[in-house]
Amino acid sequence: MEAEPPLVRVSGLTKRYPGRGGRRAPAVEALAGIDLTLTRGSDLALVGQSGSGKSTLARCLARLEEPTSGQIWFDGTDLLSLRGRRLLPFRERIQLILQDSATALDPRLRAAEIVSEPLEVLGRGDRRERRRRALELMETVGLPAAWAERRPLELSGGQRQRLAIARALAVKPQLLILDEAFAGLDASIQAQIASLLRDLQGRHGLTYLYVSHDLVLMGLLADEVAIMFEGRIVEQGAVARIFTDPRHPHTRALLAAVPSRPTPAAPPPP
Amino acid sequence: MHGLLLLAGVSLLSFVLVELAPGDYFAEMRLDPRISEATVHALRARYGLDRPLPERYGRWLASLAKGELGYSFAYGQPVGPLLWPRLRNTLLLTVTATALAWLLAVPLGTWWATRRRGPADAALTGLTAMLLALPDLVLVLGLLLLAVRTGWFPTGGMVSLGHEQMPWGARVKDVAFHLVLPVAALVLGIVPALVRYVRASVADALGAPFVRAARAHGIPERRVLFRHALPAAANPLVSLFGLSLAGLLSMSLLVEVVMSWPGLGPLFLEAILARDFHLVLGPVLASTFLLLGGNLLADLLLAATDPRIRTEER
Amino acid sequence: MSARVGRVAALALLAAVHLAALGAGFLAPYAPTAQNRTLPYAPPAPLRFVDAEGVFHLRPFVYAVTEQGSVTGAYAEDRRRAYPVRFLVPGAPYRFAGLPGHVHLFGVDEPARIFLLGADGFGRDQLSRLLHGAQISLFAGLMATVLSLGVGWLLGTVSGFYGRGVDAVIMRSAELFLALPWLYLLFAVRAMLPLSIPPARAFLLLVLVIGLVDWARPARLVRGVVLTARERSYVLAARGFGASDLYLIRRHISPQTAGLLLTQAALLVPQYILAEVTLSFLGLGVSEPVPSWGNMLADLQHYHVLASYWWMWAPGLALVPVILAYYALSEALSTR
Ligand SMILES: Nc1ncnc2c1ncn2[C@@H]1O[C@H](COP(=O)(O)OP(=O)(O)O)[C@@H](O)[C@H]1O
Ligand SMILES: [Mg+2]
Repeated sequence: MEAEPPLVRVSGLTKRYPGRGGRRAPAVEALAGIDLTLTRGSDLALVGQSGSGKSTLARCLARLEEPTSGQIWFDGTDLLSLRGRRLLPFRERIQLILQDSATALDPRLRAAEIVSEPLEVLGRGDRRERRRRALELMETVGLPAAWAERRPLELSGGQRQRLAIARALAVKPQLLILDEAFAGLDASIQAQIASLLRDLQGRHGLTYLYVSHDLVLMGLLADEVAIMFEGRIVEQGAVARIFTDPRHPHTRALLAAVPSRPTPAAPPPP
Repeated sequence: MHGLLLLAGVSLLSFVLVELAPGDYFAEMRLDPRISEATVHALRARYGLDRPLPERYGRWLASLAKGELGYSFAYGQPVGPLLWPRLRNTLLLTVTATALAWLLAVPLGTWWATRRRGPADAALTGLTAMLLALPDLVLVLGLLLLAVRTGWFPTGGMVSLGHEQMPWGARVKDVAFHLVLPVAALVLGIVPALVRYVRASVADALGAPFVRAARAHGIPERRVLFRHALPAAANPLVSLFGLSLAGLLSMSLLVEVVMSWPGLGPLFLEAILARDFHLVLGPVLASTFLLLGGNLLADLLLAATDPRIRTEER
Repeated sequence: MSARVGRVAALALLAAVHLAALGAGFLAPYAPTAQNRTLPYAPPAPLRFVDAEGVFHLRPFVYAVTEQGSVTGAYAEDRRRAYPVRFLVPGAPYRFAGLPGHVHLFGVDEPARIFLLGADGFGRDQLSRLLHGAQISLFAGLMATVLSLGVGWLLGTVSGFYGRGVDAVIMRSAELFLALPWLYLLFAVRAMLPLSIPPARAFLLLVLVIGLVDWARPARLVRGVVLTARERSYVLAARGFGASDLYLIRRHISPQTAGLLLTQAALLVPQYILAEVTLSFLGLGVSEPVPSWGNMLADLQHYHVLASYWWMWAPGLALVPVILAYYALSEALSTR
C-alpha cells in the first residue's frame, strides 16, 4: 500500500495568459508555481479569493487548459505529455464540474440528453441503453425520472448542479473536481448536495477536489484545505489546524472575513 | 496603410481571376478566317500574352506604377487615360447623389423620429418599404420611362450634341441637366434605407437616459433634439456613411449602364464583353479605390466627431 | 395587420410563386420559346364572356387578332369567331420533375392564341415566359443562397472555432472580398468565365458565381456567433469528457448558428434573385431564347418597347411582391 503513488501530484505548475486589451498589455500570471498532492479517497478544498487562480488550476488539472510550464502526474502518468487519443482514457478518470451550472449545461438539450452526452461521445451502448443509464444516474443524484424531459432553464440551481454531477458520474471518474459547486445555492440545498457527495464518495471511492472562495463551508466538507493567493498555494493543512492555527496572513484574512459564522474547530460559545 | 494593403490584395486577386479566364481578346480573332493562326500568335507574343502569369503580373504592376494600368487591346492604348475621365464622371454622379441623399434623409429621418405613430409614420413606413422592395433595375427603367414619356429630361448620356461649342455656363447647365435622371435613380435607391436608419438612430438617441434627463429638466423639445439627440446620433450615422458606399457604387454601375452615363460602369461592361482584360481590371481597382477612400473619409469624420476614437491606436 | 398574419401571408405568397414556377410547364399555355412571327408585341387578350351578338357565355373565350397595317403593335380582333378557353389541353411537350408531359392547364384552339399577358417582339407568350423565367430567376436565387450560406457557414465556423492562423487567413480574405463593391466583384468574377454558353450551363454558372462571391458576409456573422458559442461552459464540459471538435461543432455550436442562417437566407435570396436578373439583363447571364426575368427585361432597353408595351414590364413587376415577401419574412425571423 505504501508503494502506491498519490492519485495526483502537481509540481511547479504555471499558467500565463496574454494580457487583455492590446498586444502590449502585461501578461497575467494566473498560476505562479503550484505544488500539490492528492491522495486516493481524500477530499481537499482549494480556497482563495476570486481571481486567485483556482479555476485555472482546476481546468489545467482536467486538461482543458494548457499550462505554461510544470508537471501533472495522475496515477503515475505524466498527464501533460498526452494528447488526443492517448489522453481520452484519462479524461474519463478526471471530471471537472464547472463553475456556474447555469451555463455549463446546453440550454437546448433535455436533462436525460445532457446526462447521456458523455456516453454518446464515448460511443457507449446504443440510444436505449444510454437513456436507461442516464435515468439511473439521475436517480443516483436524486433527480426523479419525471424530470428527464426538462431543459436546464426549467430547473432550479440545485437541480442543475445535481444534473452536472450526474453527467460527470456517467464516465465513472476517480477524481471529481467541483468548481464553486455550492455558490449561489441556499444553505439547505448546499447541505443536500454535500451529503449526496459524501454518499457518492462512500459508494464509488471518489477523490474530491473542492474549489471555493468560502473557507467556512469548505471547513465543513473537506478533510484538508489548501489556501491559494495570487497563483500560489500559500498554506496547506488539515481543516482543524487551518482554523485553529492559521499561519499565512492571507489565511487569517480569509477567516476574519467571516467572523459571525460557526466554524467546526472553534464553535462559538453558547 | 491597411487600405493600401487591401488595394494590393484586390489587385492581385482580380488580376489572377481575370488572367485565368479562358480565351482572350485575340481568341476571338481566330474565328475570323482572314486572320491566320500565325498572325494571332505573333500578336499575342507582341503583347506578352504568352508569358507566364507572374511575369505578366509584374509587367502590369510596372505599368500601374506609370499610371497606365496595362494596355487595352480593343482601344489600342493604355488603360489609364481611358479610365480617368470615367472615374471622374462616376465620382461626379455618386458624390452628387450621396450629398443629395443625405441632405434629404437626415431632416426627413429626424422629423420622422419625432413623430412616432400616427399617419405620417405609417405613410413613411409604407413608402420606404415599397421603395426598398422595388428592384434597382425597375426603378431605373421606370425613371427612364418617365423621361421618354414626358421629354422633360434627357434619357441618356452626359452631354448634348454640340456641348463643346457651348459657353462655359451653358456647359455646366447641360451636364447638370443630364445628371438629373441618374442622380434621381441613385437617390431613390439609397434614401429609403438611409431614412430608416436615421430615424432609428435619432429615436435611439431621444430615448437615451441623458436626453430624457434633459427633457425632464424642462429644456425645450427643439433644443433637446438639436443640442442633445442629434449629436448623439451622429456617430452611427457617420459609420453608416462608410457602409452605404458599397451599395451606392454597385447601384451606380447599373444606373450608368442603363442610362448610358459615361462612368466606370459602361466601360467595365464593354471590357468584359470584349474580353479586354486589362480594361476589366481598371474599373475594378477604381471602384475599390473609391470604396476605400470613402471608408477612410468616414473614419476621419468619426475621429473628428468623437474624441474617444482619436486616442485609440490601431 | 399583425406580425403573425404578415408572416403567414408572406410564406403563402412565396410558396404559391415557387410552386407556380415549378409547375411552369403545365400552367403555361405555350412553350416559352414558341414564336409567332405574325404577332409581335400582341397586346394582352381580354377574356370575354359576351360575344359580338351580345350573347353571354359561361365559358370565357378570346378572339383571334391580326396586325393592322405596318405599325407594329396595332392589332384588331376578328370578332367573327370566338375561341372558347379549354382546360387540360394537349400542347407543347415539357418536363415536370423529370417526367415528360404535354397537357397544359388551359389553351385555345388554333389558329387563335391566348396571350393573357401579351406577346414579346417574337410573338412569344409573355405569361409562358414569365412562368418559365421564374424557374430560372427564383431558383437561381435560392440555390445561390444555399451555396453562399454553406460556404460562409463552413469558413465562419472554422475561423471562429479554430482561431489563430486559420482565422487570420480567412478573415483577411473576407476583407479582400468586401473591399470591392459587390456588383463590381460579381461582374469581375463573371468576366473570368466564358461569355456565350448554353442556358443550362449558364444557370449553374450563375448560381456558382453569385453564391461563391458573397461568402464573406455570412462567414463574418457566423464567426461572431461561433466565437461566443465556443466559450460557453458546456462546450468546455463536453471537451472534458473527450468530445471531438467535430462533435462539439455538430452538437453545441452549429445549432446556435441556425437562427442567424435562417434570417440571412431571407435577406440574401431576394438579393441573389436580383443579381441573376441584373446579370441576365446585361447579357452576362442566361441568354435567349431561354427566358429569365432578367433577359426578358432587356427588351426594355429599346425606348419604343419601354414606352409602348406595358406588359413587357411583367417580370419587373412580378419581382416586387416576391421581394416584399422575403423582406417580411426576414423581419419576422429576426424579431422572433
Ligand atoms: N482565459 C483567460 N484569459 C486571460 N486571463 C484569464 C483567463 N482566465 C482567467 N484569467 C485570469 O487569471 C486569473 C485567475 O483567474 P481564475 O482562475 O478564474 O480565478 P478564480 O477562479 O480563483 O476566481 C484572473 O486574474 C483572471 O483574470
Ligand atoms: Mg473561479
